[in-house]
Amino acid sequence: MITVEQRAEFRKHFRYNVGRRLVIDKIVKGVVFGCVILAIVPLGSILVEVITNGSAALSIEFLTQIPGAVGSADAGGIGPAIQGTIVLIGMSSLIGVPVGVMGGIFLSEYGDNRYGRTVRFFNDVLAEFPTIVIGIFAFVMIVLTLGNFSVWAGTFALSIIMLPIITRTTEESLKLVPITYREAAFALGIKRWAVITKIILSQAKNGMVTGILLAVARIAGETAPLIFTILGSSQFMDGFNGPIDALPLRIWRLSSLPYDNAVAQGWGAALVLILMVLSINIGVRYIVLRKKGRGLKLRMRGGAL
Amino acid sequence: MTRLIDPHLTHLSELMQQMCDLSIKSINLAIDSYLGGQNARNEVHEISNQILNLYDQVGDLTFDMILRYQPVASDFRLIRSSIEISYGFTRFGRYAYDITVVRDTFGDLSECKNEIIYTLSGEIKHMINLAVQSFATLDLDKVKQLLTDEDLVDKYYNKHLPTLINSKNTKCALADALVLRYLERIADHASFIGESITYIVTGKRKTH
Amino acid sequence: METMEKLPTKIITTESPKYKLIAENIVASYDGVVAVKNVTMKFRDRAVTALIGPSGCGKTTFLRCLNRMHELTKNAKIEGRVLLDGEDLYTNKQDPIINRRKIGMVFQKPNPFPTMSIYDNVAAGLKLNGLRNKSVIDDIVEGCLKMVYLWDEVKSDLKKPGMSLSGGQQQRLCIARALAIQPEVLLMDEPASALDPIATQKIEEMINELKKEYTIIIVTHNMQQATRVSDYTGFMYLGDLIEFGETKQIFENPRNETTARYVQGQFG
Repeated sequence: MITVEQRAEFRKHFRYNVGRRLVIDKIVKGVVFGCVILAIVPLGSILVEVITNGSAALSIEFLTQIPGAVGSADAGGIGPAIQGTIVLIGMSSLIGVPVGVMGGIFLSEYGDNRYGRTVRFFNDVLAEFPTIVIGIFAFVMIVLTLGNFSVWAGTFALSIIMLPIITRTTEESLKLVPITYREAAFALGIKRWAVITKIILSQAKNGMVTGILLAVARIAGETAPLIFTILGSSQFMDGFNGPIDALPLRIWRLSSLPYDNAVAQGWGAALVLILMVLSINIGVRYIVLRKKGRGLKLRMRGGAL
Repeated sequence: MTRLIDPHLTHLSELMQQMCDLSIKSINLAIDSYLGGQNARNEVHEISNQILNLYDQVGDLTFDMILRYQPVASDFRLIRSSIEISYGFTRFGRYAYDITVVRDTFGDLSECKNEIIYTLSGEIKHMINLAVQSFATLDLDKVKQLLTDEDLVDKYYNKHLPTLINSKNTKCALADALVLRYLERIADHASFIGESITYIVTGKRKTH
Repeated sequence: METMEKLPTKIITTESPKYKLIAENIVASYDGVVAVKNVTMKFRDRAVTALIGPSGCGKTTFLRCLNRMHELTKNAKIEGRVLLDGEDLYTNKQDPIINRRKIGMVFQKPNPFPTMSIYDNVAAGLKLNGLRNKSVIDDIVEGCLKMVYLWDEVKSDLKKPGMSLSGGQQQRLCIARALAIQPEVLLMDEPASALDPIATQKIEEMINELKKEYTIIIVTHNMQQATRVSDYTGFMYLGDLIEFGETKQIFENPRNETTARYVQGQFG
């Protein structure tokens, strides 16, 4: 038993450098804040640049019309590009989301074995793949086979890029759901698949939706694979078998032109792209996770009792 | 690491030990003074009161332990039986006092032949010692002896009590009857203590 | 231990007692560690049996063998038979899902499904097992919530989220959920250990009522709880069943030395 005197004795050895520690505390705090500012500054300045340069170009014609002839006074708009991006995102999600979620479910619920580990490894490799290589792959697989650039090719490439992100985030979200809910459901005699879909999935919704939106934002901005697959176009979409335009592609093309009004249009397109991704994010969160906010608050209260 | 209940169990056994010593002292004193013709009423009264105080303390302690620690198994049996056994000790003190009261009230009893009392009291003293020892050691053999002794005391009592009817000296007969009665009751309570000890060790009670 | 009121004594008759559930020669291990080393126990109908023992003695593993939940553990192995009303639950043709519906389970930490309302929680086992008839589900939900003494507290708003209840209420909700699938036996793994004393008392009172119609097996660390609620008690230590008998006998006069030392708090 350590007595009062012994404690006093031990305490004599402690270093009471409170003053110094407070100073170090402040310095570190300052450094950390500085780093945060450093990280945000690029984001902020990009946004500022894009908004200042791009808002001038915005107008109804800009958003709906086809591009005009290069160099001409009537520069037209980026209508086809907007349509193209929306179509590509939609189609790729149609493939990428179900497959990715299934993959995530497999890895989380059934994947605690060698097979699962292998799949997880390859998934992680695919996630790190240079997208331009995926673009070339799509070129070879789809464009050369079909004989022309097409929406299919673009969708193919983008869904491959999207897939591993969704798989990984779905798996992580599912793993965050405590085991105790699975056990409770099993103890009720509920079949495995019903346990996953009806009980576990709804709890992992938050993380899964975030993961999907991240993937969508990613592919909305991918340019390299689009070069090899959709070609780009000045017309609105003409069937899935033909080429299509997309915002990243259009931005690239516009910015490389020597004409001022083309560059201005490029800024406008960039602003549109950013706004599009932002609104998808907010909109989907609001629709899917609307009730979650209330539930989250109550869940925290329930945990405290 | 000692359990929380252990110091209290030690305290309980100390109290019981004190009660044992006082019981033996009171009975020895009562019997010796009766046979020797002395009046020890006040002294024995004092001892009896001490035993009663200890009984209250034992009562408080045992119930406190039960409430606080919710003992089970042998702890529980020991504590429960301690309540019963400590009551037995108060009875010893009480009857010892009653014996001295007889001497005090009736006055000089030197003309009475005390043979019956003499024999029986020897046996009783032996039984008390046996009871105290068997509680200290929880020895079932001693308990068996105790129970057979009690049988003998009963038989002796039943044989000799009626003979007092024919006694010529009323004073002696009455005094003898009272003292015999008290001694028989002491023996009874000693055997009850024996039964409690059996319960502590085996967990079984005697069916009546 | 005797109580103030007269206990309803189990009538000792000459006919053999009715055993609802019999576990024979259960040997269970996971990850190579043998947690239960050949244990046989018989559980009487409409009685509460408590399993006590120090941490790691195998009582929870044994409990999970009774409703085939042990198989869900990684690298789990099990031998032996579990007979419910005479039928072996472990023969190959029995789908474990069916058996889990005959034997309900309640866990230590209350775990109502967070995304479901009170009503949905209780009905979860029913709806997800294919029951569609709304009025039947309503009846069952009401009946189960009444059995756990939660009905009066929640009947005004069954659509509230399950997680909005207090800890004790959540645990009773989980019990109602387990009862909804109409099991014959209810397994409880330390159901009150995460609750405050008042909530614990309510759970114990509820168990006392439930045992009129169900067979209950409860694992508990709290020996006073075992004496309060159970009729029979089994003491396990290091994977073996050391002693089994009427609760009164186990706690007043245990026959085995290890049992006596454990219940008196000398180890564990």
